[in-house]
Amino acid sequence: MIEAIELCKQFERSVKKGRRTAKESFLAVDHVSLQARPGEIIGILGPNGAGKTTLLRMLGMLMTPTLGEVRLTLPAAPETGISKLRSAGYDADSERATISAAPKWNACHVGAGEAEAGGNLDFTEQAGVVIENETAKKAAIGYLSGNTKLYPRFSIREYLRFLGELYGLDRRRIEERTEEIVQVLDMESFLDNRIEKLSTGQTQRASIARCLMADPQIYILDEPTLGLDILSADAIIRFMKEQKERGKTVLYSTHYLEEAQFLCDRVYMICDGRIVAQGTPRELIAQTGTESLREAFHSIYEGGASA
Amino acid sequence: MRQVKTLVRKEMLDILRDKKTLVMMVVVPVLLYPLIIIGMSLAFSYMMQSQESKEHSVGYPVEYQEMVEDLQSLYPGNAEADGDKASAEDAVNAEHGKDTVEAEHGKDTADAEQEKDTADAEFGEKFAELIFVPAEAGEEDSVKEATDAWMEISRAENGAWHVTVQYTSSDETSSYTGEALADLLEAYREQLLTENLRAEGLDEEFLHPVVCEEEDLTPVSESFGMDIGGSIGMILIVTILLGAVYPAIDATAGEKERGTLETLLTLPVTNFQMILSKYISVALFACVTAVLSLLSLGGSVAFLMFGLSPELADQMGGFSLSTLLGQLPLLVVTLIVTALLITALCMCFCVFARSFKEANNYVTPVLFVVMLASMTAMLPSVKLDYRTALIPVVNVSLMVKQILAQQFDAGLVGTTILVNFGYSVVIVWILARMYNSEDILFSDGFRGMRLFQKRSEIRKGTVPGMGDLAISIAGLLLLYLYVGMAVTVRSTLAGMIVTQLIILAVPLLVVWYMKSDARSLLRLRKPSVRGCAGGVLLYLGTYLLGLFSSMIAMQLLPQSTQNVEASFAGLLEQPFPLLLLLMALMPAVGEEILFRGYLFGSLREHFTAKTGSPLRTRSADPANADARLRRERVGCVWAVLLSALVFAAFHMSLVKLPATFLLGAGFAFTVWKGGSIYVTMALHFLNNALSALVMKYPKQAGKLVPLLVKSEFTSAEMGILLVAGLVFAAAGIAILTRKKERR
Repeated sequence: MIEAIELCKQFERSVKKGRRTAKESFLAVDHVSLQARPGEIIGILGPNGAGKTTLLRMLGMLMTPTLGEVRLTLPAAPETGISKLRSAGYDADSERATISAAPKWNACHVGAGEAEAGGNLDFTEQAGVVIENETAKKAAIGYLSGNTKLYPRFSIREYLRFLGELYGLDRRRIEERTEEIVQVLDMESFLDNRIEKLSTGQTQRASIARCLMADPQIYILDEPTLGLDILSADAIIRFMKEQKERGKTVLYSTHYLEEAQFLCDRVYMICDGRIVAQGTPRELIAQTGTESLREAFHSIYEGGASA
Repeated sequence: MRQVKTLVRKEMLDILRDKKTLVMMVVVPVLLYPLIIIGMSLAFSYMMQSQESKEHSVGYPVEYQEMVEDLQSLYPGNAEADGDKASAEDAVNAEHGKDTVEAEHGKDTADAEQEKDTADAEFGEKFAELIFVPAEAGEEDSVKEATDAWMEISRAENGAWHVTVQYTSSDETSSYTGEALADLLEAYREQLLTENLRAEGLDEEFLHPVVCEEEDLTPVSESFGMDIGGSIGMILIVTILLGAVYPAIDATAGEKERGTLETLLTLPVTNFQMILSKYISVALFACVTAVLSLLSLGGSVAFLMFGLSPELADQMGGFSLSTLLGQLPLLVVTLIVTALLITALCMCFCVFARSFKEANNYVTPVLFVVMLASMTAMLPSVKLDYRTALIPVVNVSLMVKQILAQQFDAGLVGTTILVNFGYSVVIVWILARMYNSEDILFSDGFRGMRLFQKRSEIRKGTVPGMGDLAISIAGLLLLYLYVGMAVTVRSTLAGMIVTQLIILAVPLLVVWYMKSDARSLLRLRKPSVRGCAGGVLLYLGTYLLGLFSSMIAMQLLPQSTQNVEASFAGLLEQPFPLLLLLMALMPAVGEEILFRGYLFGSLREHFTAKTGSPLRTRSADPANADARLRRERVGCVWAVLLSALVFAAFHMSLVKLPATFLLGAGFAFTVWKGGSIYVTMALHFLNNALSALVMKYPKQAGKLVPLLVKSEFTSAEMGILLVAGLVFAAAGIAILTRKKERR
């Protein structure tokens, strides 16, 4: 589970005051708190400049919050998340990965997805571990955005091997995983091509492969379907659904409201750095008395503007 | 470490895969050096040859035919070539008889050949074939037009010749003719002179009653090393620089521009690992490039020197390839250390750039500074000593010269290598610690530094950031070294004043520009009694401990004490009050403002918290507050240590390094806890005044306080020093900290 607790991010902008411009600080993200539980797909919605990307970057450990905290709790089951890293000798490597036992998870609302996730992960009963070390947090998060490019001069196979080594997998395991991922994403035909030679869709699949290599507990995707054709976008959506079924947490931002409506378990709507509405798509539609999430979005933002 | 290894492998692969740039940056220079050097010299010698084989004509007024014939006769080959001028040939043998005795034995062609050889050897290759074209009266202009040079001849009444050689220096052939003609005329002068002397019955020595000959006792190899060492050092440093710049930009700004850095930062890699691995890869690459370039450069020079002309190699005497090879290991170590330092410097600037272009802009000034510094060894009087060995780049440049001249001192070489290595480690460490992923990824480049913003955009009460500090201190250091040195060369007194003013002015200017709150940043506050008492005790403690450490350092490095005293020697003749002003008051004010006020103050603010943030009040969690307090305390300790380190480094003395470090740390601590800079100013004044006193009046001061002049201690006394120092320091710290807690 990943939680944002009162997250704030302060930036500076230039403001014209009379004849001179002055610097003024403002909050791009203003005391945002949210939760994303295992087996959930969470949508972050909002107009451009609302602070979605900044929020996701803070959650993905790329930015340090000005204030507030990102709390990451992972199930203490073997062969998942941090314990896997540990068994791979990860934090033995003088990494100061302090893993403290956390209180049992509060009896939070278990979404429908969680019940389905089932399997060996019984989240309501399990004691989680709160990850404090930043590197360990990064290891548990797969972050994907339009800005996370892959090394153009590497082939996908080389890239995956590099990743595997960073995540502390041994050579045999790296080869196995590469094989699995290639099967799932159907990448055999261009596996050994340099990434700079791939098409947009192939590159996107390579990016997903990058996230899959580490098999993180939490996926943070910043507008993953932006600018993709229908087939590639469908592949991404399928990928998110699969991860949800495997009990992973997916947080993603998008401008496509229809997509969000059928995909997300819950959505947060953000405007000017603040959460203006949250709930399941159905709840939001009901609250605003509209027919679709798109209309609900309009009603919420226009209502906010007139208020 | 495993992470770093993986990352380094990735970086290297990334650099090596970029074939086009690789070819441009490495292969082309490696191939170009031999091409340029061998090609150029071949072309040059070809040009010389072609000039020599060319016909060079000289026009002259026909009435001086006789004199020209004399000239022609000086050149036996010429006389022989013109077979019909047998009389001229006779003249040669008659007048030139002294040198060409054998010419009289026979006049067959073989002899003439030999004669020509001797003449050639005699005059070197100065005498080119000159064809003299007589100009009848009236046709001078047309002859002038047709020939390469023109002789305007006149004769004084006493028989002295006056010849003006007219030629065009911009024309290759003409200027060559002119020079050859001048040489010929000089030989003619000598000949006439000898004849005249002989006619007067005098010896040639009559003209040279004193003959001065110089004999350089330096082995040829050494003087040669001295001559070329300066430029070799520069070439070496510049090749490393060029090898490092491209990959440094590519690995930082390039990766940022391509968008792969953000991906890299989402991976479980710490900033330290990332920066370290990038650093290692770039340094490795720079080393390889430098070695390759050096081999290609050295190879072509050696080929030219030892392969093409054996005579030149003979002239080099003892300086052979084998001596050079003997020094190769040391040169390679130097090269590696230099590569480490230069890479660190380049990366320092590239890390903040957002694009390749921006990085290029940042690196250009670095290139200039490093190149300038690398030329130091070309200055004749600058030598590697314990002072210059502490200045990065300059020390390498000087050391290469010393190594090539085979006169190096193992201590100095070791210091240079260690110092450069130390600087690199410090730079990389600071880089990796200071900047988190956010700064690297989303920074505004140097525009983020407030010093580069318009002053009107800076808010009041801004504290200088780390970047501002680094830039201003580096700028100050440059000013201090170059302006200070330039003035000191003229007058030690003026140099003292100027450097002190620089030290005072730079921080004050920055504080003014940033609209910082000078009172709180520089701690310009009324001292408290407790602050004073604690400060004095801590000062005594650090002074004794400093003395203790200096004694130990002095035993390890005995030579360098004389340097310091020698540099003050001129100053000591000044009257004592002036001395006090220069050595005690000005440094006390300037250095305290700079190191304890500006540097420590900014570091303290930087490490503790972003004060003035509107968000501060919202979190009132007591546990949080406690943690924050602890963090602040740790931050302040870092600030104390870092400012003391800079303070110590600034004094540029290895022996005094631990002592100045302790003193600096003690002062910074006093300012931190005592809250007033005036206390440390007073103590600093006292400290410097005492040493001025000791230097000016060693005897009287010794009677007053024997401790001040004592230069040797028994081990028991050393123990007392250590214990007393610790006790005083502990007491001072206790007094200073108690105040804080009661509050």
